[in-house]
Amino acid sequence: MLEIRNLTKIYPGPVAALQGVDLDIPAGMFGLLGPNGAGKTSLMRILAGLLEPTSGDVRLHGEDVLADPQGLWARLGYLPQHFGFYPNLTGEAMLLHLLRLKGVRAEGRSLRQLCGELLERVNLGYAAGRKVKGYSGGMKQRLGIAQAIAGNPELIIVDEPTAGLDPEERMRFYRILAELAENRTVLLSTHIVEDVAVLCPRFAVIRKGKVVALTTPSQARQELEGRIFEGIASPAELDDLRRNRQVTQAHLVEGRNLVRLYEPRGDAPAGFERVPPTLEDAYLVLMRDVGTRGDDSAEAPGDGHRRAEAETGAERPGATA
Amino acid sequence: MSLRRILAVGRLELSQTLRRPMFWILLLLLTLMSWGLSAGNVTIASGDTAVGGDKAWINSESQMTMFVIVLTFLITAFFASVAAGMAVLRDDEVGASEILHTTPLRPAEYVAGKFAGVTVTFLFALTWQLLTLVVFFQLMPIENAAEVRGDFRLGAYLRPMLFFALPNVLFALGTAFAVGERARRPILVFFLPVALLLVCGFFLWDWSPSWLDPRINDLLMVVDPSGLRWLDEAWLSIDRGVEVYNTEPVAYDWRILVNRAWILLVGLGAVAASVPHVARTLSGEARPGGLSRLLRRRRRDEAAPASAAATGRAAIDDPRLAELAMRRGRASRAAGLGAVVRAEVRELLHQPGLYLFVPLILLQTVGNATFAIGAFDTPILLTSGYLAVNSVSIVTTLVCLLLLFYTVESLQRERSTGFGELLYSSPVATWTLLVGKALANSLVGAAILLGAFVASVIVLLVQGSAPVETWPFFVTWILLVAPTFVLWTAFVTWLYALVRERYTAYALAIGALVATFYFQFRGELTWTFNWPLWGTLQWSDMGTYELNRQQLVLNRVTVLGAALFFAGFAVRLFSRRDFDGLRSIQRLHPRLLVRTTLRLAPLALLPLITGGVLAYQVRSGFQGEPAEKLAKDYWRKNFATFADDRDAPVPVVRHVEVRVELEPAERRFAVEGSYELVNEHDVAIDAVAMTANRAWEEIAWQIDGVEATSEDREGLHLLRPARALEPGEGLRLGFRLRGTHPAGATKAGGGVPTFVLPSGVVLHTFEPSFLPLPGFQGGIGVDEDNAFEPREYPDDFWEEELDTAFGQIRPFTTRVQITTPADYTANSVGTLTSSREHTGEDGRALRTVVWESDHPVKLLNVVAGRYDVLRAGGTALFYHPGHTYNIDEMSSALQAAREHFSEWFYEFPWNELKVSEFPALAGYAQGFPTNITFSEGIGFLTESDEGSNAAFMVTAHEAAHQWWGNLITPGEGPGGNILSEGMAHYSTLLLHEEEHGLRGRIEFARRIEDSYAEDRQVDSERPLVKIDGSRAGDTTVTYDKGGWVMWMLHQLMGREATLAGLQELFRIYVPSTDDHPVLQDLLATLRPYAPDPQAFDEFTEQWYFDVVVPEYEIRDASKQRSGDGWLTRWTVRNKGTGRMPVEIAASRGERFPDDEARGAQSTGETYRDTRVSVVLGAGEEQALELRTDFEPQQIVVDPDALVLQLERSRALARL
Repeated sequence: MLEIRNLTKIYPGPVAALQGVDLDIPAGMFGLLGPNGAGKTSLMRILAGLLEPTSGDVRLHGEDVLADPQGLWARLGYLPQHFGFYPNLTGEAMLLHLLRLKGVRAEGRSLRQLCGELLERVNLGYAAGRKVKGYSGGMKQRLGIAQAIAGNPELIIVDEPTAGLDPEERMRFYRILAELAENRTVLLSTHIVEDVAVLCPRFAVIRKGKVVALTTPSQARQELEGRIFEGIASPAELDDLRRNRQVTQAHLVEGRNLVRLYEPRGDAPAGFERVPPTLEDAYLVLMRDVGTRGDDSAEAPGDGHRRAEAETGAERPGATA
Repeated sequence: MSLRRILAVGRLELSQTLRRPMFWILLLLLTLMSWGLSAGNVTIASGDTAVGGDKAWINSESQMTMFVIVLTFLITAFFASVAAGMAVLRDDEVGASEILHTTPLRPAEYVAGKFAGVTVTFLFALTWQLLTLVVFFQLMPIENAAEVRGDFRLGAYLRPMLFFALPNVLFALGTAFAVGERARRPILVFFLPVALLLVCGFFLWDWSPSWLDPRINDLLMVVDPSGLRWLDEAWLSIDRGVEVYNTEPVAYDWRILVNRAWILLVGLGAVAASVPHVARTLSGEARPGGLSRLLRRRRRDEAAPASAAATGRAAIDDPRLAELAMRRGRASRAAGLGAVVRAEVRELLHQPGLYLFVPLILLQTVGNATFAIGAFDTPILLTSGYLAVNSVSIVTTLVCLLLLFYTVESLQRERSTGFGELLYSSPVATWTLLVGKALANSLVGAAILLGAFVASVIVLLVQGSAPVETWPFFVTWILLVAPTFVLWTAFVTWLYALVRERYTAYALAIGALVATFYFQFRGELTWTFNWPLWGTLQWSDMGTYELNRQQLVLNRVTVLGAALFFAGFAVRLFSRRDFDGLRSIQRLHPRLLVRTTLRLAPLALLPLITGGVLAYQVRSGFQGEPAEKLAKDYWRKNFATFADDRDAPVPVVRHVEVRVELEPAERRFAVEGSYELVNEHDVAIDAVAMTANRAWEEIAWQIDGVEATSEDREGLHLLRPARALEPGEGLRLGFRLRGTHPAGATKAGGGVPTFVLPSGVVLHTFEPSFLPLPGFQGGIGVDEDNAFEPREYPDDFWEEELDTAFGQIRPFTTRVQITTPADYTANSVGTLTSSREHTGEDGRALRTVVWESDHPVKLLNVVAGRYDVLRAGGTALFYHPGHTYNIDEMSSALQAAREHFSEWFYEFPWNELKVSEFPALAGYAQGFPTNITFSEGIGFLTESDEGSNAAFMVTAHEAAHQWWGNLITPGEGPGGNILSEGMAHYSTLLLHEEEHGLRGRIEFARRIEDSYAEDRQVDSERPLVKIDGSRAGDTTVTYDKGGWVMWMLHQLMGREATLAGLQELFRIYVPSTDDHPVLQDLLATLRPYAPDPQAFDEFTEQWYFDVVVPEYEIRDASKQRSGDGWLTRWTVRNKGTGRMPVEIAASRGERFPDDEARGAQSTGETYRDTRVSVVLGAGEEQALELRTDFEPQQIVVDPDALVLQLERSRALARL
């Protein structure tokens, strides 16, 4: 169990990246969903022992990891959002180096053999002898995944792990994470709703440094049941809908706007049909809801700049934390 | 081109550079340096700046130009290189490049903006430098301000800044910018200023032999990117006088104009040349780092499959992770350390700077050590120990610079590459990370030391004389130097951990190095703080670091302790997680600070204790502050009363009898003895003044065998006999003393002139090292604070009776008994009258020898060591058993000197002429009567061959002092010392010709002529009869010119007449007890023997009473057939001064066909020449022709080296 209590991080400015975050994260896969700049990376880096919080507690199985990050690192597998490698080492040498530093052992065979197997597992076996500086972004990401999962760490923290991965590799990684989550805590931070939908039985939504929701994907969807409508709209109609209704998504399909609306009262405009809600609908509705209530901005350095727009007020789905 | 975009880029670059602490540290450094230099401690060596005459102004344009060039090149250019070189690199590191270049910004605008931004920053720095110079040099209160500071003239500051500083900085900015842009590697950016510094500091600014072709010199002046060589060679070293340097602006000529032009062109051109490369990099034609890729090894990457998807198996096929059966244990420290070191080394091997730095350092290190020069500019015969020690300072400095770069870049690498997020969240301990990195970087230092060792071995093998020994390198480089690298690496790591930013770390570390240089330059770096051991190590093959061994050990322990402290502190400071601002402020709570301090205290304990012990030892040592104060007190208390013999008459010494017990292992000695003193003054002496060494542990006195008490006047002991000593009366003054010598630690290493050490003992009466000396000793307690300018003598001073320049005024007899351990040989003046081995009270085997003077002496010394001896022809050579290289040559020189000087000057009155070797803790040779002492680096370790006969030369010179110095002791006054040193050189010329023929004499004559040409101070040189040793350049005039001019006089008078005159001089002055001769006495004695007194007067008038040096130039040389022979025509001109008859030869073939040393190529043809003589005054020229019966190959002025001249190599024309 990873317990987070009243975690606050204030950057010079001052900018409040985290504002009293409280979370209990049990064993298994746990998602942390939020827009860029919500404070996810700050939270991840604090949990990984790489960033000192302004105040608060973090305990892993009751042990204070803020006071003893060294103790945490011995049990941690960490894939940061932004990272790099020594450019002049080969992929194999780089991974081997990290395995040695982490004290990883392989039963019945050499560390080099294990290294090769891990590289195979992330589909980098063919590039093991190439220098890392020649790797593509996706290859580097996979090398990062290999080091994060090495040695069966007790706690795995992965920050935006699927960025840069092609669909096939993303699926491969999902499977690895799912397996890892069977008997340990895996904390997945992402702004890609699909990642959470596929992997996480529970997740928290964080926005402007605060946890705004703690729920499950099905519960989040259930909250919106009967309130999501879908229809086709011309550009002029779409503008009108944006002004008068809550548009959750608008996609161009065959040159026309396929629009999804959140209608709390269940009365859809003409031409719109009730459809089953998705997790993305729930997330976007939630983002609008919090933004409307006028919370303090909490964009942390390095967390990106894009924000969800605040529109009209809405009922708050999934607020069960 | 859009000016708006250029300004936008420039503004951003400017603001970024200004925000960096590095820039502000530069301003601080410039301020401190301006302040330090304004104190007037550093002035140009021109004019009569040392003593007498006008002083050089510290704020003259000449002086300011020198300061500006040095400050700019050593400090500003370094910072500018880093700032400009990193301008493009930084954008790459933060990933901004690609985004920037997807905007309308063009490559040219980008380059122009970046360069403009960083240039404006450094224009601000230069302006600041100008302001600080003006403020400190005009307003700073200094001693003698009226003498050394001229009126304020803006041009004196502004012109050097605009003409030298600005182009130099633009050159540094431009070239570093281009290198940084092309290579995209920080290390190459740092390499550039360091490489320039090495090339300039050790070659362009320094290398200027007198034989250098002026055209080459011109070229080097043009090439030197700093302009300092031009300033030195074309402005400061030319005879202009201090008045010109003080008041006139520096006159720029074509060479410096060309130099400035190419500096600017290359600097700005390099920036312009970056534009197409930036464009090609963006378009993908060129890859960033192309230059560095060329410099490093290529490795073929394994062929990759066509695509990942093609080879990737379906995810569903993967076995479960659990099947990998991996687990985490705790990585052992050794394994973690090994992993870090391995990874760091791999990265290091890919650093192209390594492959540039290392050869450069090796070249510099070995080159520097190999060309070490000993006495009389003779090359030193290198042994393993000398090679190891000679390269310490240079190797330490360069490796520290290299380690600085690699340590900072290694620590920065995690940030630059983004690997820090992975590495810092791994369980490896922080100390493992830091130590691993330090170890890996230390391997660079180790590799350099290994390379330098291999190069040294090659040098020794090529030299072929001294054996290759490993242990001196091990002791010096591993035990002594390596801890410096450990400390430096730990310090730099600590700095980086403290500031967490590469530029500030660089700036602070460079600041620390500059501060160390500064304190070393001012002589304030003692054992306690001399962490790089600069100037401390003194090698001797006869004993390894005996003098300073304890201080060396303590210093190294302090250094290692400090390294441990910095390393521990760095581990504590080096945060793998980003600190929170608020919590950081909370950490500054006094209680937390105290707790942190207490935690670090154990680490600081060791360096504090050992450093404290060192500080105590330095302070209480013989060079410490209290000792200096005691010496000053001696001078202060007694100078007014006892300095003048007329005020405080001192009885003369008639006989000295001493018993000396030496315990070299304990550095101790005990002396018991007596002086027989006689009052030869015409007034009674009621108290005998004796100067004692205040470091002696005890001293007791007796007068005529009765214990006596002295009045101790701060070291000058006044002993009052029962009744005043009437004229003609004498007494026996007994003394008993003991002590350690030297007493305590040196201040900062180096050597000492006298000592009692296991490797050897040297004691003499030039100073109260082992005997109290009669009278007040004027040299004790004198430094720059109380030194006064030398006395001005009237022209006829020599006609009066003169005291001796050194030694006792009357010769005296001696009986010296010396007891040493049985394996030592102890020598003193006179003849060995007894030697016996016996057992001491403690059971040790001892040897007691007695030396008695068989002819009176004026000086006394004792030397002892574990010697082998070579005796021949009434001479003996006592040498270290390992130093057999030159003993035959030295022995032959001693024999020849004894035989021929006896024949030419005066019969050698003593029984045996000895030379004894002593450890090179001092670098002198001293010709005490019968008992000459040679430092091992002189003669014994001189690189000598048949061409140079260098060992013969130094031995002959020192042997000549038996006649010129002992038998004839020069009088006190100007020109006196030339009678000792100049005449010793003249005697050597004579002996060379006698023993080695014309070739040997020419070789030596040209050697000392070169030495004179290189070392003379043209603007302050005075006539020989005025030379008193007080000014820069007096040494070469005393030795080299003094010897040469006497040799010319010898030619003028003829050999027989000259020797007859000199014999007359000996007849007059050897028995003289009242008067001692100076140069005028020599000339007055010789004149009656001159066949042509008028020619004699003309010669002496210009060479002894005036300053002249001819310089001949041949031009328009041609040859043509004429009947059966050849007609050769040329014009010769005397560009210099003086009027001398000189021979000019048209010659063919090699004169000395076996003369490989001079690089001649043998043609097998017999040498032939035909000569003509010409007399040319200053500026005169004459067209000449010669008819020869052979086809001449060259025209040579003065083929037999009979006229001292400058630029002899140019007084030659090949036909």
